[in-house]
Amino acid sequence: MSGIALRNIRKAYPGGPTVLHDVSMEFHPGEFIVIVGPSGCGKSTLLRLIAGLERADAGEIEIAGIRANDLAPQDRDIAMIFQNYALYPHMSVRENIAFGLELRGMPKAERNRRAEEVARMLQLEPYLERKPGALSGGQRQRVAMGRAMARNTSTFLMDEPLSNLDNALRVAMRTEIKDLHRQLGATIVYVTHDQTEALSLADRVAVMKDGHLQQFDRPEVIYDRPANRFVAGFLGVPPINFVAADKLPGWQGMQGLTAGLRPDILTVHAQAPKGPSLPVRLVMSEMTGSDLLLHCDSPAGRLTAIAPRRDLQGGTESLWISYDLDRALFFDNQNGERVELTR
Amino acid sequence: MKPENPILTMLSLAAGLLFLAPVLYSVWMSFQTADAFYAGRVSFTLDNYERAITQFSFARYLINSLIVSGLVTVLGITVATLAAFAFARFRFPGGDLMFGATVATLMIPSHISLIPNYLTLAKAGLLDTYAGLILPAISNGFAAFFLRQYIRGIPKALDEAAYMDGATHLQVLWRIIVPLSKPAISSMALYIFITEWNNYIWPLVAVGKQDLYTLQIGLARLYRINPGEGLIDWPLVMAASTITILPVLVGFLAVERHLVRGITMGAVK
Repeated sequence: MSGIALRNIRKAYPGGPTVLHDVSMEFHPGEFIVIVGPSGCGKSTLLRLIAGLERADAGEIEIAGIRANDLAPQDRDIAMIFQNYALYPHMSVRENIAFGLELRGMPKAERNRRAEEVARMLQLEPYLERKPGALSGGQRQRVAMGRAMARNTSTFLMDEPLSNLDNALRVAMRTEIKDLHRQLGATIVYVTHDQTEALSLADRVAVMKDGHLQQFDRPEVIYDRPANRFVAGFLGVPPINFVAADKLPGWQGMQGLTAGLRPDILTVHAQAPKGPSLPVRLVMSEMTGSDLLLHCDSPAGRLTAIAPRRDLQGGTESLWISYDLDRALFFDNQNGERVELTR
Repeated sequence: MKPENPILTMLSLAAGLLFLAPVLYSVWMSFQTADAFYAGRVSFTLDNYERAITQFSFARYLINSLIVSGLVTVLGITVATLAAFAFARFRFPGGDLMFGATVATLMIPSHISLIPNYLTLAKAGLLDTYAGLILPAISNGFAAFFLRQYIRGIPKALDEAAYMDGATHLQVLWRIIVPLSKPAISSMALYIFITEWNNYIWPLVAVGKQDLYTLQIGLARLYRINPGEGLIDWPLVMAASTITILPVLVGFLAVERHLVRGITMGAVK
């Protein structure tokens, strides 16, 4: 198995802005790494640099302990799954899966056997002789995975592989990818802009913005102790509420901070509670199943909270929201960095 | 599909016949004896074909034309595809300039290069050879331009997937780009073949030996051969013309489906 090290990677496209600024990360062998960030943050470029499809302007890329900056993609022994699958439309599923093996000189009988083995794992057996054009989106996605798996490499790169699937299929495929990682034990570098995928799949998550690495850590750490306001805001559904800390009743701490209140630390009350709370006016409520997502205006600003549906039967617009300041996050207003408060 | 309009159908049929009439007339004429034709009578014969092939060496000219046009097509399409792949997929110093120069060759009338080509081949000692007939025709700016545009329409992710699978540049070209460019390549191959098949000026200039004449040269020389009394033997000329047309027609029918797809490419997504 091979680990990957990126050291001070810089990349700019000719005539364009710099897309990666001194990015450094180290992926251990067998780790499931998810690189997440909004569009244009440089995550796909980073993946293409690891694949060898782009060249870094500066910095070092090391794969399995060997400097890989000048290695051609075919010499890196890495498999990649593309966002649009990039299946060869003129080849059957079998040929698509076996193409990489053929290029490596594997005899026909052996590569056919391998293609069938992979197809069985991915439940693609009935479609082996079909062309990609005759497959559904989910089946194409599996073929793309099969093509990568057939080669028995120890490193997989996945560029938003689920973004073209509908929601139900995405959830199902997410589980399959996680399962596959467990079975293969390979290093997977997975790029997505979907934070649910990031948090549910990764051993470690790298959050990127504007070509800068914001934070690289375990999903729990990223969620519970985000490095800055951007990371806190990017991860979490429904998103975290940001309000000026000094506008929160009960706040006795330092000035110049923004409080980050995740909806799960807010409690909605029909009557004024005993502890510190904010009176709010309900602007909109969204039914999410057993819960309601409540968008409220408060003296501190707009807040989004979750409340069980049965707790709010009265239809009133005037509510109270209390909060657990011990579980709140605080960010410096100047630089957006998270501030650790000692209480 | 819309229901057929009988008036439009009739008009289309009439237009088709109008285009076909000269060809059909010449084919019909090729089966007449010269005497009967000039006397305004009808007399069916295969004699004109036999004379064209045996007496006037049209079998030899046909083979020469097939060799020259065939090789020009194979070599020309190979060179054009390689150039198109490079222009479509790689950025290299001077690449844009070279592509500009390739496109610029389309604006130069081919007759301008006649004398320089002749002098070059004379110096190389290639006049009166197959190589002399073939080499000047294998670089085709239009084919390179057309194929480059087509290849640019093929998602680059397919190349990248192949590189990740372990392919070299040539394997990407041969296993991915060429199969996906079949319609365009077929169209261009037919275009090059027909252009070379009909080429008259260059073979006329580059070849003096009768053994190397192509059909077009042989056909033109038939006009000068009188059956007597200064009359041109039109049925013989038409038989030779039919021999000249036939391979192109067969070639067209073979790749017609691809040709239409190639020409209308990109019209709809």
